Formats: sequence, structure tokens, C-alpha cells
Amino acid sequence: MTNKPLVAVLQFPGSNCEYETASVVRESGMDAMIFRWNQLKELSDSRPDAFILPGGFSFQDRVRAGAVGAKEEIMDLVFNEALSGKPVLGICNGAQILVESGLVPGWENGRIESALAANHIHGRSGYLSRWVFLRANERALKISPWLRMIGNDPIPVPIAHAEGRFVFAEKDNNRISECMALTYCDENGIETADYPVNPNGSFMNLAGIMNREGNVLAMMPHPERAFWMWQIPPWIPGTWGDRRNSLQHDPALAGSKGPGALFFRSLADYFELISREDQ
Amino acid sequence: MDLRDKLKEVIKERSLAMTIPEAEKLAGYVGRMPTPLEFHLFDTMWSEHCSYKSSKPVLRQLPTQASNVVVGPGEDAGIVRFCTFSGVEWDLVVAHESHNHPSQVLPVEGAATGIGGIVRDVYCMGAKVTGSLDLLRFGDPTGVSGERTRAICRGVVEGIWKYGNALGVPNLGGDTRFHEGYDDNCLVNVVALGFVRHDRIAHSFVPEEAHTEQYVLILTGKPTDDTGFGGATFASADLSDTAEKGAVQVADPFLKRVLSEANRVVLEMLFEKEIPFGFKDLGAGGIACVTSELAAHGGLGIHVDLDEVPISIPGLPPEVIACAETQERYGLAVPESVAEEILDIYNTSFELPRLFPGASASIIGRFTEDPVYKVVHRGIEVAFTPINCITEGIVYDRESKSSPVEVIEPDIRPVDPPSDLRKMLLSHDGASRSPIWSYYDSEVQGTTHFRPGEADACVTVPIKGCKAGLAVSGDGNPWFGQLEPFLAGAHAVGEAVRNVVATGAVPIAATDCLNYGNPEKPDVFWQFCRGVEGIAHACRNLGLESGREHPLPIVSGNVSFYNQSLSGGSIPPSPIVAVFGRIDDFTRATDMSLKTQGNVIVLIGPREDEFGGSLYYRSCLGHSGGKVPLFRGELEYEMARFVLDCAEAGISQSVHDISEGGLAMAAVEMALATRKDARRGVILSKGFTDPVFLYSETPGYLIEMLPEDWEGISVKPDFASVIGRVTADFSISSDIWKLNLSEVLEEYSTLLDRIIWREELSE
Repeated sequence: MTNKPLVAVLQFPGSNCEYETASVVRESGMDAMIFRWNQLKELSDSRPDAFILPGGFSFQDRVRAGAVGAKEEIMDLVFNEALSGKPVLGICNGAQILVESGLVPGWENGRIESALAANHIHGRSGYLSRWVFLRANERALKISPWLRMIGNDPIPVPIAHAEGRFVFAEKDNNRISECMALTYCDENGIETADYPVNPNGSFMNLAGIMNREGNVLAMMPHPERAFWMWQIPPWIPGTWGDRRNSLQHDPALAGSKGPGALFFRSLADYFELISREDQ
Repeated sequence: MDLRDKLKEVIKERSLAMTIPEAEKLAGYVGRMPTPLEFHLFDTMWSEHCSYKSSKPVLRQLPTQASNVVVGPGEDAGIVRFCTFSGVEWDLVVAHESHNHPSQVLPVEGAATGIGGIVRDVYCMGAKVTGSLDLLRFGDPTGVSGERTRAICRGVVEGIWKYGNALGVPNLGGDTRFHEGYDDNCLVNVVALGFVRHDRIAHSFVPEEAHTEQYVLILTGKPTDDTGFGGATFASADLSDTAEKGAVQVADPFLKRVLSEANRVVLEMLFEKEIPFGFKDLGAGGIACVTSELAAHGGLGIHVDLDEVPISIPGLPPEVIACAETQERYGLAVPESVAEEILDIYNTSFELPRLFPGASASIIGRFTEDPVYKVVHRGIEVAFTPINCITEGIVYDRESKSSPVEVIEPDIRPVDPPSDLRKMLLSHDGASRSPIWSYYDSEVQGTTHFRPGEADACVTVPIKGCKAGLAVSGDGNPWFGQLEPFLAGAHAVGEAVRNVVATGAVPIAATDCLNYGNPEKPDVFWQFCRGVEGIAHACRNLGLESGREHPLPIVSGNVSFYNQSLSGGSIPPSPIVAVFGRIDDFTRATDMSLKTQGNVIVLIGPREDEFGGSLYYRSCLGHSGGKVPLFRGELEYEMARFVLDCAEAGISQSVHDISEGGLAMAAVEMALATRKDARRGVILSKGFTDPVFLYSETPGYLIEMLPEDWEGISVKPDFASVIGRVTADFSISSDIWKLNLSEVLEEYSTLLDRIIWREELSE
């Protein structure tokens, strides 16, 4: 019997990042199981410690990306577990589902207060695959189980989406800064609202938002695609680029972890902390 | 009215592509006037697209066998051995097709269904699809048909990203070329690749166990409609008007993704229980082809009941139900005893009927010992024919007439490197492809090491935990094709091989797609024959995996004829080749960005005065030239061996092959690929204003090495020499000229975006 924490990766019809996401969770010292959208009983019986909603195009992005997935019965379970404090991460389409379910920013239970609109910024609209740099908000670093190990260096990760521009029904800057988790910046950590540093026109350069407690995080970039050092492009500038290039032709490149691993290591670290506190 | 007249009338009435002698042959098979379903079935099976009736005798020249080949051409995809990891043998599955005509008429749908079809070919061998490439040829985006060309280009890219990204198959690049010869007929070639356990390959025929146990045919996926009715015939005809839009299918990546997940569970169950089965995707000819081929290739007959087929449009006539090319469907031949369990996986576990209106898995046929193909609709027999006739095929001996192009060379060749390079970098073919790639998801599945544009080939690490890397590249130069069809074929192989070799990977297999005009024209058929000869010649010279006496095998491919303009002119002969390579340890793979100042640049491959079709002539002299670079088989082989040896020794810091724009462009591209906070450039040490040295497209490579590593090579081959050094200055220069790359970077990176997407056309 293993006592590793169990992370449930939810497969919606049209998800397409579930396998690599489950794989990096396991590589981070936790267990991962993939549950199909209609395996409600199996999911609830296995009592997962955390949930990840992976990337993809659930329900064909019908109505709005994530809108139909958010209404699936399985999301009721996720909703209640999130309110009870369990860590929940939505990546890309998973983030869109979390926003559409009202879990983030979660100012009022279940009310949809934000949306992920179509990319639109002077310089480039439409679907975009690109590497960007992220910075975590100070408060988020402290409270979110997904971000505790991120640190202050800007981290390179890729985005791949057509609808990733955070917008809010009410532009209440105080409340929004409270839910700020991740923002786009350049390799030196400088934020600007211009393309390509902000790749999609997102409000306040937001790449990820969380609920007030920080246990639910919705992020557009794909940390599972920056989990290994060898996934980083050879042209990435900055310190991560230095680290990656110093491993050119080095067998150690195969096992070296990249910046995306920090998100999953944060979660593993959070569970270790909890289990120490329990003892 | 005699039979001949009656047949003629049906052909006209139903807009069939078959000839009257073909119809007579069909009538002979069935011994009466054929039914409408029989007409349409045979019209598809005997179309050029399905039967290879013009090309088959010529294609026999291609080397298709080698010791690593598991499945050669003939099934839906080719298979070669890849590696053994943790006791499991993994095979690489590859397929290559064209979707040219549909993409010209309806670019978004055409390109999307192109990917949809090719990935099904790889899935149905039981593989997980781990990559796709698109080889695109468009007209001149600023020429007389520029407006339409730009719209087609935007549409094709949209179709590719909307389908491929949603499906979750990483896009591993490919190439894009612009040539006015494609103004009325774009080319959209698609490659898909995947991996399968050697002991879990699925085959597209009913297994022999069906002789002793009752097998049934399960149809699963999208409900049948009338889309794509006559699609294969359409693909085999001139693009005379655009009224044929109905022959283009409609793709659905969402349903495909769910189906692929369900198929995975079904196949796993069948393999676990050791139940033999047959599995095939529905492509050209729809239900009629999949049912007859699964049965015929297994030596059985089949009885199909069209009333069991889920359809989405009521009242479709039987020939439409049987022959429509509705996307996202598969046929599965399994014992009747497990059929219910399988239906349950599709319909209950994966909820096909809830997720997509009308979608489901159903039993639509029973295999029979009696070797006949029988189809029933509403109790009436709508087809009844000996099954072997359907798959027997048909062959034509086409006439070929040598029609070489007269060689004309320019009178003068002025050289001004900064200005020449600028022109080439800012030409349609020389500019960065990143505006196109930025729409593609190249990283889904988390296995991508080198994305498009980072190295000469994309490199992925497809098998979890295993260090073996896959490198893949696709190439074909229309400007060579226009001047010398044999060399176009040879260099298509040569360049794709060089791209794979440049990363440090050993080529293990190739696929081809042969795009030409009307094969009934003797000069076009000659171009086709010469192209195939060129490919065969290059493959015989470039068997790098097991020594020169063994060829690089062509394991899958496709022929696309009738690509021509509205006025009847053919496209430039366009043989397009994809090459697949393996690097045993992906951490040794090499990209193309310059690394460290002071390193030497080693030229592999002497330069020759052969500029036919070159980017320098086209962009700087406005001339197409005549003499295409020769294909020097032995030298190509030796150069590739040397580059692989350097990779093996770990002394290549960066590598790039020499192709369009020659050595100077190659060096510039290596500089442009550098980190923005560690820019590098090149200073050339000779040939300051010699066009042959700077711009000749004689095949070759540039390798960046530490000076001591170069000195340390004890026996330096004659074809290798140092021609420059890496500098910390973002420029290319000699001691008498210099081009600052920061001056062109922005324009180079955004040129295609500005022309194609923003329509900024100011001169």
C-alpha cells in the first residue's frame, strides 16, 4: 500500500494533455490516475488528494471554451472538494473549465466572474503557440500549494491556445489583485502590456488566477511541457537558457528537470508539509 | 439500346470518372447491368487515387524492402523497427498523403480532413500517433492570383491547426514553398507518424480465424451522411470548376479524439484476450471499400446490411450510404462473441451517442465463406459481385515522352553580399516560417525536443523513459522540379536525409508523395517517371543505417495526378519526400543555433557552379537558371557519414545543411537562430564575392566546432574545410563586406505574417 498523495487527472471528452500531465505528477513523487468524465463513482471512491484538469478542447469548445465541461456532473464533486480546501489546478482548457465553473476567482460561490476571451492584442490575434515568461505574485507564492517553490526568477513555459485572455465582469482592481497568481513578463522579470511579452492581451498581464485561498489555480501556460530541461528550446534567453545550454550533449540533459517541474514539486512539498503537521 | 450505350448513359448521368471500357469490364464481372452501388464502388476502386492504375508499374522501381521493414507499402501505413526498450520492441508507423484538390476548393476543410485521413491510417495499424507534418505548396502570394493564394494559405493553416491541435497530435513542421505554378492548384501533403508495440500491430484484413468462427463487421464513429460522396474520383480529376465542393468531407477532431481513446481501450482488450481482429479506417469509398477490402484481403466474402448503418440524413440512397466518405469512422472485424462487449465500450463507456448526435458503434455486416460481396438495403440486394474483382485493380501502360527543359543561364552575375542576402532573406521562400508554425501546437504529448525551425529536423523523444530520439523532415524543391524532374526526385530524398543527418540522427525510412499533372499527357508522365527514378536512385545511395549496399526503404506513399491550372498547364513536377531518422541518445542531438565565439565553421561539400532554380538567381537576378545541382550519390553518402561521425564524437556544436541561398544563407540562418541575449554571427575567411562560394546550392553542410576539435580530427576528408569563425557580433561578414542581422531580423521574422495574414502588400 502506497501512502503517496493521489492526484486525479480528469479526462473530459476532447481533453488531450491527460497522459503527459499524469506522467509528470508521477515523476514528482506522487500518484496520478486518469478518470474519464463519467467515472464519477470511481473518482469519489478513490478519494484523491488533489485534482488536475488538463489541457485540450473539451466538448469541442462548444459555446465557449470550457463552458460545457464546467456543467458536467463530475465538476460538482471537484467543486465541493475545492471548497473543502483540496488543491485543484486547471491548465489551459482546464483553466477555462475552472473559470466557467465559477471556482476562480470565486468571489461568490459558483458565480462566473471572469472569462477567457479570444486572444486579441496589437500584433497578433488568433491561436498562438509560443514560449513566454511567467512571474508569480508574492501573495500567491505564499499561499498557493501549486506555487510555493516557484521562487522569484522568471520562468519560461509554453502557451498554446486561442482563448487565453483573462477578462473580468467587474474591473475591481483590488479584488483582482487578490486573485492574481501568475503574470506574463520578459526574461528579466519586467512586465509590459505589449505583444509578445503579453501574448494575448490578457487583463493586467494575467497568465493565471486563483481563488482567495489559493488552492484553486487556473493557468493558461502548460507547465507539463516545460517539466524536463530538454523540453526547453535552445534559444531561450536568461538563466534557464544558460542552464539548458550548459547541458548541450550532456547525458544529464535526459533527467534534468525544467521550470515547469516547480509547479508539481510545490504540490509534493505541500503534501509533505501537511503530513508532517499531521504527525 | 445496347449495353455500351446504357453504360455510357449511366456514366454521364452519375458523373462517373470510369471509362466505357472500364464499365464494360464491370458489367462482365457481374454478368448484367451493374447496380448504382456497384458503379460507384468500382468508380472509386478504379480511380487513380485508389488503384494507382497509371503509376503502379513505375512505382515498382522504388526500393521498399530492407532488413528493418516490418510492413512495406500496401496497407494503410508503412512500419519499420525503431528500438527495443525494457524488453519491448517498438516500431515506427508512417503514412504520407495528399489532399490537394479539396484544399484548393475548400482550404480549411480540405486541409483539416487531410490530417484527419492520414492520422487514421496510422491509428488503424494499432499505433499511437505522435506527430504530423504538412508539406505545403502555394501559388505566388503577390502575383496575379495573389488574393486567392493568400486566402488559400490562411485557410489551409487554419484547417491544420484547428484539426491537429484539437486532436492532440504535435505538429512537427514540414515545409512551405511559393511558386506561381501552384496558383490554381495548391499542394497539401500530409505526413503522420506513430509508434506501436511490435507484437500489437493491427492489420487491415479479417484474420484467418474467421474461417472457423463467425466474424462480424463493426462500424464505429460519426453517423454516415452524404459528404465526400465521390471524393476519390474527385481527387483523381482535373480541378475544372468549383461546383464539386460536396465531394470534400467535413472533419471533426473532437469526435476523433474520443474515438481514438475508445479504440485504444478496445484494441487493448482484444490484444489482452489474444483475440485476432481486423481494423481499418474509412477513407476513399467509405463503407463499400472498408467492408470489401477487409473481407477480400482475408480471403472471405461479406454480407453488408445498410439498414444497420447509423445515418444522419434520412432517405439517403444505398449507393450514397455505401460510398460517402464521411470522416471519423472505423471498421473493425471481430468474432461475434465479443461484439456486444465492444459496442458497449464505444456506446456506454465513451458515450458516443451522447457526445455526438447520431454517432455510435453498430454491427453492419457478417463475413462469409462464400467469396462474394453482397449488400442489402431495405430487403433489396443492391450489390452482388465476386469479391476478388473489387480489389483486383486495374493497370494502364501510359505513354511517356522525354521533354527536357532547355538550359538557359544568365549573362552576368553581379555580387553584393549584404544586398543579395537581404533580398533572399526577405523573399517568400527565404523568409522565416515562424508565422505559420506559430499556429501549430508542436508540444502536445510533451515529447518534443526540437520544434520546427530550431534544428534542420524536428526531434522528439516518443517512448517514455527511452533515450531514442526520432528526427523527421519533409522536402521537395519545385524550382528543381520545373527544370529537371529526375534531380527534383533525387534531391527531395537528399535534402530530407541531410536535414535528419544534421541533427545527428540516422535515416531509417522514407515516404513519398508524387504530385504531378495529367498522366495521360506523355510529357507529364515522363516527368513522373523521371521523378520516381530520381527518388529510387537517391534511396539506393543513402542507406545509412545498414551500409551503402542496403537502400533507404520507401515504406509508404501516395501519387497525386491531375494537378494543373485552369488553362491546363501542369504544376511543376513536385515529388515530396519525408525522411525519418533515429538517434540512439537524444541528448546528443544538435540544433542549428551558433553557440560560442571563436569556434570554427567547417564547410562539408565543395561548391560547384550549378545555380538552376537557386534562390540567388530568383531573388537577385530574376532568373530561374538552368543547371540544377547534380546528385552525387557517393559523395552525399560520405558527407552524411562524416556528419554522423562528428555527432557521435560529440564535437558538432551546431549544424545546418546548405540548401536554398547556399552557404551564406545557411550561415545567416544559424546566426538568426541564436538566443536574443547571446547573439552570434559569422565572419567568412574566403570567397568574399564569389557567387559560387557564397550562394551555390550544391548539397552540403556547415558544422560549428571548437578549433581544437577540428584540429583533433586525424584524417580530414577532402570535402571538409574551415571557411569562417563564429563571432559575438550579430552579423555576417568578410573583411570587405558586412550585413548587420539586427537590421533584417524583424522583417525576416514577420514577412509572411504581413503578406499572408495582414495583407500588407506595399512594395
